[in-house]
Amino acid sequence: MDFAIGVILLLTFFALAWYCIKGFNLMIGFLVITILWTVLPLFGTLFVSEEFLKANPVLMFEGGKGLVKILNGIYQSAPEGWGTTLVNVCWGAWFGRVLMDTGIASTLIRKTVELGGDKPAVTISLLNLVTALIFTSMTGAGPVIAIGVIVLPILMSLGVPKAIAMFSFMGAVASGIYLNPVNFAQYRAFFIKPTDMPDFTLGWYAAHWGYAALAIMLVVTTLLALFYLGRSKSHRQWAAQTRNPQAAQKDAPIYTLILPVIPVILNIAFNFSVIGGFVIAGFAALFLCGRMSGTFRENCQLVNKLYYEGVVDTAPLVGFLLTLPMFNAVAVYASPYFNVVIGGIMPRSELVVCVVFAALLFMGLFRGPMTLVGCGAATLGVLSNVAKFSVPFLYGVFAIPTITVNIGSCITQSWVAWGLAYTKVESRDFLKLSIPNAYATGILQYAAVYLFLAGLGSAWMIG
Amino acid sequence: MNWQYIREKLKPIADGLFGKQRMPRYERPHYDIRPLEYMLERLVNIPDTSWQNYAFSREPLNGKFSDAQRTEWTRKAIDCGKDYAGKFTNKYGTDDPELLARKIGLDVYYPQYPEKTDRVLFADFVMPNRINIFMDAVYRAQKYLRRNNVKKSLGDISIQKIILAHEIFHFVEDKYQHEIFTRTEKIRLWTLGPLHNDSGIFALGEIAAMSFTQSLNHLQYSPYVMDVFLVYDYSAEEASGLYEEIMQFAGLTP
Repeated sequence: MDFAIGVILLLTFFALAWYCIKGFNLMIGFLVITILWTVLPLFGTLFVSEEFLKANPVLMFEGGKGLVKILNGIYQSAPEGWGTTLVNVCWGAWFGRVLMDTGIASTLIRKTVELGGDKPAVTISLLNLVTALIFTSMTGAGPVIAIGVIVLPILMSLGVPKAIAMFSFMGAVASGIYLNPVNFAQYRAFFIKPTDMPDFTLGWYAAHWGYAALAIMLVVTTLLALFYLGRSKSHRQWAAQTRNPQAAQKDAPIYTLILPVIPVILNIAFNFSVIGGFVIAGFAALFLCGRMSGTFRENCQLVNKLYYEGVVDTAPLVGFLLTLPMFNAVAVYASPYFNVVIGGIMPRSELVVCVVFAALLFMGLFRGPMTLVGCGAATLGVLSNVAKFSVPFLYGVFAIPTITVNIGSCITQSWVAWGLAYTKVESRDFLKLSIPNAYATGILQYAAVYLFLAGLGSAWMIG
Repeated sequence: MNWQYIREKLKPIADGLFGKQRMPRYERPHYDIRPLEYMLERLVNIPDTSWQNYAFSREPLNGKFSDAQRTEWTRKAIDCGKDYAGKFTNKYGTDDPELLARKIGLDVYYPQYPEKTDRVLFADFVMPNRINIFMDAVYRAQKYLRRNNVKKSLGDISIQKIILAHEIFHFVEDKYQHEIFTRTEKIRLWTLGPLHNDSGIFALGEIAAMSFTQSLNHLQYSPYVMDVFLVYDYSAEEASGLYEEIMQFAGLTP
């Protein structure tokens, strides 16, 4: 019977993968699968053998009270625990809005272009670097769009074909996200509770793999962009477009241009609070750029408005991210059944995992079974419960299809979808450039995962 | 109660359960909508040199320039465009952009390309000799030319010839890149010991292209007016925003 339940669970997993790839609502999808994965494994204990239950104590509970305790763990404690991550997301979104409102982000872009001038290759390289740095602290569709409406027209006015401009910009954004403390906290919560494994900090992660992941994606994206640029014909376009308010902003003072990376530096160098860094750098930006020169009431309204706009930026993901912890919790109860069906074929060697995941990188596209912001959360649930790997290793393994493939290269990513509409690049033209980048970058990043994160001791294992 | 009725009633529930992921949309700024005739009547009266701030607002290096530089460059770029229009008209014996394009060996294509309202693409020049005129914008605007007040402001014009002439100039720029003002004029961006970076200025090419277009098409106004005219049918609000911006840059009240 345990095998039959395992097969049904596996079918629901494939159904979820199909559901995600079709682009349906992730929050509802994961809520439904959580309910299914609660009912099947727990109700299934009535039919499985004694030996199976004895081998999997996680499925043994004492009557109604025990069942309620499990259900409370899944549907109450798990999402509550994720609340500590959510506050990082909210403050990060506020900081992103501050950087846009003060003109710091747009000034950084303009000053970068003024260094490169009319040489597209130099300007693309510099813009990619600065974009990556900016997105080490900013995240969400709002900030990407706000920077995109400055960067993309500039690149196109330099004669860079629009598909190359798009792919290059989106790749640079994704490379910055490898060091973004908000994204790190978000993805970390997929693997362990925020309070677990205190040594697995952004600083540790950055030093062991994060810097390498960022550098690989940034360099490969830039080199590919330059390669594509060298093979393409230069364009001059006549297009009409109202100027974006961000592009029309006055320059922020030059010394404030360091502020976007302050929260990340503080966090990595001193393990200083992420939110503390956002508050310090955010208010410094507001004061130094003269945005707090109104009355006390006006200043309060400004801070409040920016917070509101920032939270709205992140709102589409919050429902999904607050459903995921339930799913992560329930995966523990489903894993014994999965173990019966696929335990024998799941890779247990870190090298094999890296090779298999590198080969299957395309499954991170279209919210497929490799990306954490898609069906990959289910794959993680299966993999981490069936085989034993260290948390940093698994983090690296799943971060690549999530960030490099989904966020940087896939048309289902909200801001990529926006960019396609904005630049009028056809989806297939974008994917023709972004998929080779995803593979070239991903393979190198998996090599780095194996080199730097494989073979960590049992202290880094889940549970 | 038919099936259609039931489907409509169930749709909100079905959307809630199985609805597609909602993509955050970027909301453009909002502007007061003005009648097309009103805007064109005012735009055609803006002197050529008063378009400089609008032209330079699209220049990536604009922050490096002083007002005096912009004014001088605008004057020179306008002269450059007129000068090359004269040279080409004399050399090839025609000022008709379509005929001229054929004589100088340009491949001109007229794809019908659907546009979005936030950035309307009229045409592009692809090196070395291909021009695409995106006809969607042209067809949409043509119907307004039948209005008397629009015709009174714009005159008897061919939109595609105006756009084509603009793109021809970019071909001219490429062909004469070692001598033409719009390419030889450089600005030093930075120096570091023996290293330095000199850059061209894209806005000069655009200003000169407008002047070249104006000469070939015998227009009494700057072809920059097309930015508002061709966008209007996509979005009257977006066109009004452009109009507002242009008038402010020209130091006039919208």
